Amino acid sequence: MEYGRDYGKPEMMAAAMIREIKEEDVVFHGLASPTPMVAMKAAKALGKEFTYVTLSDGVDHEWTRPPCVASTLTANTYEGSVAAFGLDSIFDLFCSGKGDIAFLSCLQIDKEGRIAMSVLGGDYDHPKLRGPGGAGSATLTQVTPRTIIWKTTHDKRAFVGHVDFATTSPAVDKWFTVITPLCIFRKPPGEKYLRLDALFPYTTLEEVKENTGWEVEEGDAPVLEPPLPEELAAIRRVDVNNILAFEFK
Amino acid sequence: MINALRAGAYGIPFMPVGGMWGSDLVSIRPEFFQVMKSPFDGKDVVCVRALVPDYAIVHVQEADAFGNARILGPSYQDALLTRAARKTILTTERIVGTYRLREEPKLTAVPHFLVEAVVELPGGAKPGICYPEYQTVDWDDFRAYQRAVKEDGVPQFAERMLEGRA
Repeated sequence: MEYGRDYGKPEMMAAAMIREIKEEDVVFHGLASPTPMVAMKAAKALGKEFTYVTLSDGVDHEWTRPPCVASTLTANTYEGSVAAFGLDSIFDLFCSGKGDIAFLSCLQIDKEGRIAMSVLGGDYDHPKLRGPGGAGSATLTQVTPRTIIWKTTHDKRAFVGHVDFATTSPAVDKWFTVITPLCIFRKPPGEKYLRLDALFPYTTLEEVKENTGWEVEEGDAPVLEPPLPEELAAIRRVDVNNILAFEFK
Repeated sequence: MINALRAGAYGIPFMPVGGMWGSDLVSIRPEFFQVMKSPFDGKDVVCVRALVPDYAIVHVQEADAFGNARILGPSYQDALLTRAARKTILTTERIVGTYRLREEPKLTAVPHFLVEAVVELPGGAKPGICYPEYQTVDWDDFRAYQRAVKEDGVPQFAERMLEGRA
């Protein structure tokens, strides 16, 4: 598998997401989340037995029909579902300890995993930029056993030294993972800070350091295996319109 | 927000919520969030104040003239909104006969006694989506709407969208 020829950053991120999903997990992704959507559909195509819930009300929708737009709220994530399970029920499910993974994103993040989704710059009532808000993340990160933050840009504007206003931050006693186009950061239960967990094959520790606003510790983070042929085949099968590329344009 | 609406719908002043620890939202909005101790085990719990909207405006696929409504696509918190609000206005893709609702009462998401008014408005969710009637966002109109909001031109935008339909 050669980077740039056989696969790119979108496929590597999707493959990393697929590998996070375990058998029998209950997995959620939010609004405007084409990257986890494609990864979760591909995980279904690979035969992983897990439950797919999202804001469309869909439960284990018919994943064989490829999405045509990057919205994750269309009929594509609803039709063919075995049940309708709305967002309020999904929150209740996770709050009562029956969920496993929530794929969420952010505007900014710092080393403690504090996430900005609400405002950037200025004060809360007069920000420079008002974001989409926490939606579910303020609730979900605290109650989800394995929160996974995905962010399709890895630079010092997003990965900052300190987030001023945290829409949410990790639960001390739970896993908290961040997947970027370059690497995976992870915070195990009981720890406070994100650590470099794995590098993607086409990057280096130096490149990650240059693009991260906090001090990335020297360590022996392993290099993750490139997307496997079957992972790439599954991604292409569920995503013939290459919606996966949308966030990387 | 969901639990705030639930508290409104249940007629109680506030509601404990799961999660929310670690969010700066809790401390910056004391008029909405408060932390209290559970009277049962003494554990801290975040609470939200009840929300009772004056109006809920909900767009549905089918309603009869009395306001019995079916939501055929994703329902989000629409039914909850109608329980929490003082009054509900429905807009609907089409008016159907009451017999249709009698066929499968469980599919009625909003019963008539919660509804103040019903407006027949095909395409009422445009430029957004209303499954299964129209399934993709109309981006040209959506951008025109965004421009209208920025330029204080929403009435003109609405006029254009509704021309010939009043």
